[in-house]
Amino acid sequence: MPVFQTDALSKIYPSVRALDELSVSIEPGIVGLVGANGAGKSTLIKLLLGLIQPTEGYASVLGYDIRTQGLELRQYVGYMPEHDCLPPEVNATEFVAHMAQISGLPAAAARERASEALRHAGLFEARYRQIAGYSTGMKQRAKLAQALVHDPKLVFLDEPTNGLDPAGRDDMLDLIRRTGHEMGITIVMATHLLGEIERTCDQLIVIDAGKLLHQGSVADFTAATEVLEIEVTGDPESLAARLVAAGLEATTEGRSVYLRSDGDAPFDLVRDTVVELGLGLVRIQQRRRTLEDLFRIETPLAETALTSGVEA
Amino acid sequence: MTTDQGSQHAQTSDESSSIYDLGYRRYEGARLGRRQAVLALYRESLRAAFGLGRSTSAKIGPAILILFALVPALIQLAIAALVPVGEIELTSHHDYYGGVKFILALYVGIVAPDIVGRDQRNRSLTLYFTRAITRYDYALAKLAAMTTAVLVITLLPQLLLFIGNALAVDDFGGHAAENWDLIFPIFGTALFGSWLLASIGTFIGAQTSQRAFATVGILVAFLLPLTVALVVVQEIDGGWTDLFVFISPLDLVDGVTYWMFRVDTQPMDSIVAMTDYALSWYAVAGAAFGLVCTGLLLRRYRKVQA
Repeated sequence: MPVFQTDALSKIYPSVRALDELSVSIEPGIVGLVGANGAGKSTLIKLLLGLIQPTEGYASVLGYDIRTQGLELRQYVGYMPEHDCLPPEVNATEFVAHMAQISGLPAAAARERASEALRHAGLFEARYRQIAGYSTGMKQRAKLAQALVHDPKLVFLDEPTNGLDPAGRDDMLDLIRRTGHEMGITIVMATHLLGEIERTCDQLIVIDAGKLLHQGSVADFTAATEVLEIEVTGDPESLAARLVAAGLEATTEGRSVYLRSDGDAPFDLVRDTVVELGLGLVRIQQRRRTLEDLFRIETPLAETALTSGVEA
Repeated sequence: MTTDQGSQHAQTSDESSSIYDLGYRRYEGARLGRRQAVLALYRESLRAAFGLGRSTSAKIGPAILILFALVPALIQLAIAALVPVGEIELTSHHDYYGGVKFILALYVGIVAPDIVGRDQRNRSLTLYFTRAITRYDYALAKLAAMTTAVLVITLLPQLLLFIGNALAVDDFGGHAAENWDLIFPIFGTALFGSWLLASIGTFIGAQTSQRAFATVGILVAFLLPLTVALVVVQEIDGGWTDLFVFISPLDLVDGVTYWMFRVDTQPMDSIVAMTDYALSWYAVAGAAFGLVCTGLLLRRYRKVQA
């Protein structure tokens, strides 16, 4: 049974179609929800939480109709907003326990669950400290704890790694992966960083301008967007021409050649060709693109990657 | 619990996994839904109003104002205890709110931003609206908490005064029995006045996340109409200008108090005495005022960005 499904779901504001006939169906797992800023990610999450009413279409989450059963539905759903949302002047246990009660848990169970959620989020030692004294990373963990405290079946995380340093980012993604896989909670994670999706998620929804661009497994998508960047001294055009002649898809940009690679990257061919042309090889690297890159459609490769993704 | 892991480890040993596995535990207990959520929100908001579970500085403001509001009743009580010369009436039930009106205004101005402004300041409204309550539930729980908070500063002095007056005469039980008909207006005025002041305070407090703006706004909403009404009613003789008394919430509380205590003959310490309207009109106007503010509060939370 899908965790949630939408059928031609639309949200139209007077000036903008925030969501345009979106139809998706999501199975349990960790789902990446990607799109540029303003693509409709937040609108979709708000609709699925029953917070705003759709203009047209239908959606059910955990079997509840979002139009009429928002209250019942929200007992089983967690939400971690992108922005700061924690009161600084209370301690984390008290706040998270309060949030559990607002989800409908009895007071005693709420306190027990608050400790459990904070322990899971790695804040057990700091659980009686005032939130005001928390670092950014600790606040993100506390935000995650409040989203998990009532043991939801489905959790929406909005940009969960926002403001974290690389180490904190790794920790958070690891935590999310464990939450999804070990606890069996379906996670919908909105982000604009493709790298995070690749590392964490197993399903992917890509939306742009309120429309569904792609839905499917992450493995398929990353295979379609793998790009090799080859930076050379000298003329990149000649290298690109030779690679195209060898049956590969290659384009140039600045001093680099971008090579679409499915499966095994043709490193030997690239090396030999560079040597034959007498160019200097600066670097070869797998490019990690952010989705903004992909949506900008400046690089034709990105475009083909996306369209082939849709076909797949 | 943990069905995935369970199936993997089932073959090896269930005991060892339950001992060493400190993994996440599921919650199988009761989910009480909306009722529990609204009650919890009410309770927590009331605690916040008095600074409970927070720093000492958060407790001081409300506590001092409640103490101030109790001063007339305490004096009455002290005199009753020290000077046993029969009944001395320094202050009366129906004039009590008029006497402490500035303290009431300040109290609402300080407490309301704590109850309604805090979640907007912390941007935690989202966390509430994504849980088992509706936006209206949230607004009404906040209004109920604020009404209760104001009830503390209105009802407590009145009850203390009742006890003080009973102690002033030798026969405590006799006095209480003789004046039992005061109990209804004591509770009635306290409840009505608290709701009216709370609806205004929460409505204005909910407009801004800035605490100082909210406090100033609430004080202006109480004191500006009070002054305008006083000047207009006092300086312009008779006629329709007396209607200005109905724009001032604090004067409405006075009028409703006189009405409930059924005092239309005794000298009254308020501009209500300078007008000729039947006292029941103050109840009508007060109810209308409170309902409009309650409606506006609900509207505010229907629209506020979460």
